[in-house]
Amino acid sequence: MENKKYWQSFGERNESEAYKQSVKDEFPKAQEPQIPFDESKGVLDAVTPRRDFLKYLGFSTAAAAIAAGCETPVHKSIPFANKPEDLVPGQADYYATTYVQDGDVLSILARVRDGRPIKITGNNQSPIYKGCTSARAEASVLDLYNTARLRFPYIKDKEATFAQIDKALASDIAGNVVVLTSTIVSPSTKEIIASFLAKYPGGKHVTYDAVSYAGILAANESTFGKRAIPSYKFENAQTIVSIGADFLGTWLSPTEFTKQYAVNRRIDEKKPAMSRHYQFESVLSPTGASADYKFLCKPSEWGKVAVALLNAVNGQAVSGISDAKLVEGIKKVAKDLAETKGKALVVSGSNDPNVQIAVNALNQAIGAYGTTIDWAITLNNRAGYDADFAQLVADMNAGTVNTLLVYGANPAYNYFDADKFKKGLEKVRTTVSFSSFDDETTQLCKYKIPDHHYLESWGDAEPKSGYFSFIQPTINPLFKTRQWQDSLLKWAGAGLEYAAYLKQYWSAKLGGEGGWFNAIQTGVLNPAETAASAGAFNSAAVANAISAIGATKTGSDIEVLLYQKVSIGEGQGANNPFLQEMPDPITCSTWDNYFVISPKIAKSLLNIDITNEGQSDDYEVHPEKEVLKLTINGKELTLPFLIVPGTQADTIGVAVGYGRSEKIGKAAKGSGKNVYPFSYVKDGFVNYNLSGGKLERTGEKYTIAQTQTHGRYDSKIGGKRVEVMKELTLAQFVHDPKEIFKEREHEFEEFGGLENFEKQGTIYPYHEKPGIHWAMSVDLNACTGCGACVVACSIENNVPIVGKGEVARFHDMHWLRIDRYYSGDVENPDVVFQPMMCQHCDNAPCENVCPVSATNHSTEGLNQMAYNRCIGTRYCANNCPYKVRRFNWADYTGADSFKNNQDQKLVGDLGEVVLDMNDDLTRMVLNPDVTVRSRGVIEKCSFCVQRLQDAKLKAKRESRPMVDSDIETACQSSCPSDCFVFGNVNDKNSAISKTRKDNPYRLFYSLEQLHVMPNVNYLTKVRNKTEMEEAAEA
Amino acid sequence: MSLFKYESEVREPLVKGNKTYHQITEDIIKPIEVKPTKLWYVGLVIALILLGFGVLSVYQEVVYGIGQWNLNKTVGWGWDITNFVWWVGIGHAGTLISAILLLFRQGWRTGVNRAAEAMTIFAVMCAGQFPIFHMGRVWMAMYVLPYPNTRGSLWPNFESPLLWDVFAISTYFTVSLLFWYSGLLPDFATVRDRAKTKLRKLLYGVAAFGWSGSTKHWQRHESLSLVLAGLSTPLVLSVHTIVSFDFATSVIPGWHTSIFPPYFVAGAVFSGFAMVQTLLLMVRHVLGLQDYITMGHIEAMNKVIVLTASIVGCAYLTELFMAWYSQNKYEGYAFFYSRVNLFSPYGWSYWGMMSCNVIVPQIFWFSKLRRNIALTFFMSILINVGMWFERFVIIVTSIYRDYLPSSWTVYYSPTIWEIGFYLGTFGLFFTCFFLFAKYFPVIAVAEIKSVLKTTGDNYHEKMLPAEQMTAEEFAHEYAH
Repeated sequence: MENKKYWQSFGERNESEAYKQSVKDEFPKAQEPQIPFDESKGVLDAVTPRRDFLKYLGFSTAAAAIAAGCETPVHKSIPFANKPEDLVPGQADYYATTYVQDGDVLSILARVRDGRPIKITGNNQSPIYKGCTSARAEASVLDLYNTARLRFPYIKDKEATFAQIDKALASDIAGNVVVLTSTIVSPSTKEIIASFLAKYPGGKHVTYDAVSYAGILAANESTFGKRAIPSYKFENAQTIVSIGADFLGTWLSPTEFTKQYAVNRRIDEKKPAMSRHYQFESVLSPTGASADYKFLCKPSEWGKVAVALLNAVNGQAVSGISDAKLVEGIKKVAKDLAETKGKALVVSGSNDPNVQIAVNALNQAIGAYGTTIDWAITLNNRAGYDADFAQLVADMNAGTVNTLLVYGANPAYNYFDADKFKKGLEKVRTTVSFSSFDDETTQLCKYKIPDHHYLESWGDAEPKSGYFSFIQPTINPLFKTRQWQDSLLKWAGAGLEYAAYLKQYWSAKLGGEGGWFNAIQTGVLNPAETAASAGAFNSAAVANAISAIGATKTGSDIEVLLYQKVSIGEGQGANNPFLQEMPDPITCSTWDNYFVISPKIAKSLLNIDITNEGQSDDYEVHPEKEVLKLTINGKELTLPFLIVPGTQADTIGVAVGYGRSEKIGKAAKGSGKNVYPFSYVKDGFVNYNLSGGKLERTGEKYTIAQTQTHGRYDSKIGGKRVEVMKELTLAQFVHDPKEIFKEREHEFEEFGGLENFEKQGTIYPYHEKPGIHWAMSVDLNACTGCGACVVACSIENNVPIVGKGEVARFHDMHWLRIDRYYSGDVENPDVVFQPMMCQHCDNAPCENVCPVSATNHSTEGLNQMAYNRCIGTRYCANNCPYKVRRFNWADYTGADSFKNNQDQKLVGDLGEVVLDMNDDLTRMVLNPDVTVRSRGVIEKCSFCVQRLQDAKLKAKRESRPMVDSDIETACQSSCPSDCFVFGNVNDKNSAISKTRKDNPYRLFYSLEQLHVMPNVNYLTKVRNKTEMEEAAEA
Repeated sequence: MSLFKYESEVREPLVKGNKTYHQITEDIIKPIEVKPTKLWYVGLVIALILLGFGVLSVYQEVVYGIGQWNLNKTVGWGWDITNFVWWVGIGHAGTLISAILLLFRQGWRTGVNRAAEAMTIFAVMCAGQFPIFHMGRVWMAMYVLPYPNTRGSLWPNFESPLLWDVFAISTYFTVSLLFWYSGLLPDFATVRDRAKTKLRKLLYGVAAFGWSGSTKHWQRHESLSLVLAGLSTPLVLSVHTIVSFDFATSVIPGWHTSIFPPYFVAGAVFSGFAMVQTLLLMVRHVLGLQDYITMGHIEAMNKVIVLTASIVGCAYLTELFMAWYSQNKYEGYAFFYSRVNLFSPYGWSYWGMMSCNVIVPQIFWFSKLRRNIALTFFMSILINVGMWFERFVIIVTSIYRDYLPSSWTVYYSPTIWEIGFYLGTFGLFFTCFFLFAKYFPVIAVAEIKSVLKTTGDNYHEKMLPAEQMTAEEFAHEYAH
């Protein structure tokens, strides 16, 4: 039995050789990979059997492809070995903190992804800023990752440790000690400075601001007895008059003011009313652009305008002003001021205390104090006093200052007499700078002890008295830096670090640790509402001031006004590529400063008549502008020019903040010239207007990189492009609210009116749009052109920096831009801003022309880009009527698989800034939720689709319908005037649906006659004018 | 007058000189068999240098990005697509001559069709470079091809005119190539049969596909020619129609114009004939083919030129009229400011186009000027300059100032690499053409022989006596 054998074939039965072989071969080399080679011999000796030909072919093609294929650089990401407890990969944390740059303050939330702060958002809890940001605050996150930051302390330009520094300074800080800072808004820091100085008898704290507001401080001192600035309440003003103050752009606290200002600029269509804003100015500013009426005067006339207004309000005649248009304007303004007493506000940008005294008297006359100006709460963000600093410089030169500690201030760059300061600095034995960057002053200091970036710091701020905002670190210090308060505490021998000090300081005030933790969690601490105080006005100084103003001469020569740009400001933005590349709201130029000249000078000096289409075209289409030479007060300045209508005929504007040392960052290199040396001191106050200038041509050319060259939307041929932009006066709107609506109805009459246009305007079938349908509304009345949205968008969406060379070739990449149009009078036009981004057309012309469907429509109405699919034909960009599509012309992001191709050779120049933005450090700012696009693909606004996705998922996780508060696009969240409304238009209760329902008569879609069915609507710009028509063309 | 007169009194002979069949073969095939002239070498080297520069230009663009060109956020297409349309246009005459004139039994086409077809093929090859290399990511160009793939399968967008271009041009190229090559077969066989070296015999033998000249071969050849002619006739019209759709289907003022298809086709024929003139005048001179490419040919083509110039002129005026008549402000601006106004930034290009394409070609209404070789040569170049302007005007003056004045940018002028790419296609074109002129029979030997029976001195010699005969004599003479 045991050997009984079952067999299937004779071969098996007999165990023949053939059978054994077949058993052996049944699963040939089953475990080995099926490589079609006979491995017994070398690969090259292999024979190819006929049947294997295809295998060989496939294998060799694949192998060749793999071997020859371009290698994309691999960046490894390594997971945490031990995951921090609160950290969920892919989920952002928000820390309430505060942006503090010199005196500028914003309560913010820092968005932190995987330990890296990547985005600044406003803190809604702040009653001052109400959750908005500014361009500079948005861009500040990049400063954290700036490659030019000082990475460790230095003694005499040699690397040192903090121990060495402390040891050396223990003996080096001696004699007369002066702490020189920009305006300090931190109460705890002020205390620390005081306690530090207490150790050194005779020690002084001097506050110095780059652009001085001492004139206001002095004026308030003489009229209210307080060297302080009251808080302004633009939201209470029916009539707003600004004499040269760019309060929406750069003056004092522009973000706060914009927020207040916007309240009364929005229109309720049922009860159309808005504040009226008059602007007297010399060089067109964003504030002037937003004004209802704008009058041009020379900078030297600002005081006279204030006095004339004061006289006119008091019922006296207007005198001392020759320009008839200006006199008319003053009469008109005075009438309005008199009628709206108690609801009016006058501000002035002058640093002449006499002018400010006149303005104070005017504000007193119109009852502004206690209503639109509040003395109960002071504005703390500018406290520098020119005379104090002048004294310090004198002391330094006299050799009576032994130790100078500098924080925030940079007089070697921005003091009008920087050379004197530098000479004085040489006589100071011990010089210490706490600057994060090797700026002009720091370069001259013996000790460089870099401070943390504010996102690495602890701190507090009190921008307005009683309003506190707290700073907490959002990342470990990247470099060997130390908070300057820590240094002071250490040297003062306090024995505790600033973090502990701060905690102690606030715990004491807030009733223990709990209160402190609450405070830093919320980020802000707000006082209870108090009644506004009018202060005690003392008119004693007014008469003197008026006579001093009367004595100022206004000649017929050229005057120069040094102004600030929204982006660069006093110069703080100069090393930030996002700010350098942000187009100026008015000139739309980037990376440079230049002479802003009036059409009159253009015509008389340069023979460019901008009313002549041929000549203005010639000027516009060539970015190379002629360099002019300005001679004033014995100094010379050569800069290119830009013609800006709305600039006083004989005034030239030049922006400060440029021409900075390249040591503070690649972005500062080669951009513009420093014009601070042109300011001068008059009666102890720094003056930014000069007269007696002479302008000459040099014949040289210089390229200015502009993003927009043509400013008018009307032309002799073709007429006014009202489909692009719609403007009305309030009088018109009150007279016939439906004017715009009727125009639109008429346009689409043949399609059965507006309602049927979508269906009747095409031969294609109509598609229902169920579910979510994203849409946006932009209120042109609210937009002030400040550019916060532009920077916010760029940072949120990893929009590359392309550098000046590329912007000059119109290769700028901004997904969101602010178009600026002039209309009416060439000398003094009306200006309107139009934020322009992808309109997410439901019938998008870009979509059907893409040969590979790289751009297509989502079910939620988004016009989306599949970067991977894009082959870069640019057909979509050509066919986009809004020209919002951006092409990656070169390897801006360093993401390319072609090596070393960022050197553009012969053609173009990617510049060091672009390369710097690709540094591993700088790249930490990138938003990991958004793809970094490679060369050769198109990109554009996505409505922040990553945020939308997040919002949907959040609602889904919480099993509830999505609501408005879940979603905020980057532009929307940044906007200080809340001009953006975004949401699901299919939801009847959403803000966007309500906005569209509530504003049926102002609503329009840009270029809607094309039947592209955009999802972004605009609300018509209404100017509070009494005229029935916009000013006719001059 | 005899009843048997075949030849028209007014028609010029298609072939001059008393050519025998052998002489024709000698005249046309000989250059292939002897060493090329110095001039040929010089020409080829220049062409190769241009081609090399073109390759460098393309290399720059592919490696460093489209930023190597001066295009910008508003002007997305410039010299690249201008040159594309220009070359495609040139590529029209060949097929028109070979296909449509074949169907219309235009005997004069035999003298010029070979070179014209070659020109077509080379021009289309040049044209094809631009849409390929104008892509930002040319290495992904295969995305435009509809084939089942592992990406989804993800198909191209059949709505896009650019995709239609892909089909139109590849079809046109294929059919033109087949047509050209099938015509070459008998001639290759002639070269093969005359070959004295083994290599030549082998190569031309392979190229001739075993052509033996049998009646069956001829019969099939004739049928194939007719079929291909039938196929390519609609293509002549469709290719440029579809190219024009790139613009006509868009929303951009100046592009969005329904007149484009016929206007583009007329323009293409216009420029194609001009290019044929340029080339044939050179070939005729260099290879001494005055007897085959006669004054009659030149004049006939000049007639086509003046006709198409006038059609194009009508189209230009119609466009202007419609821009005014529609009262569309955007279109009005594009036409009356950006184009017609000589003092606008690109006004010069519009007037360059108008004068080269419409005004100056009107001189060809005069027979004397039509038959002036130097003038014809000059005009043939001028017309192609004008046609280049036309495409530039259409593309650049439309998009550089479209709807939003905020986006009106800079004066677009090309970089060295854009110019280099264009010159490179000239290099490609002339390299191909020089090789063609040396190694291929530049005139269709077999076809020219077929007209010998109906025209020219050879015909006269044989047929004049017959024509003199009365019917009876003729019947008697030729009865057997």
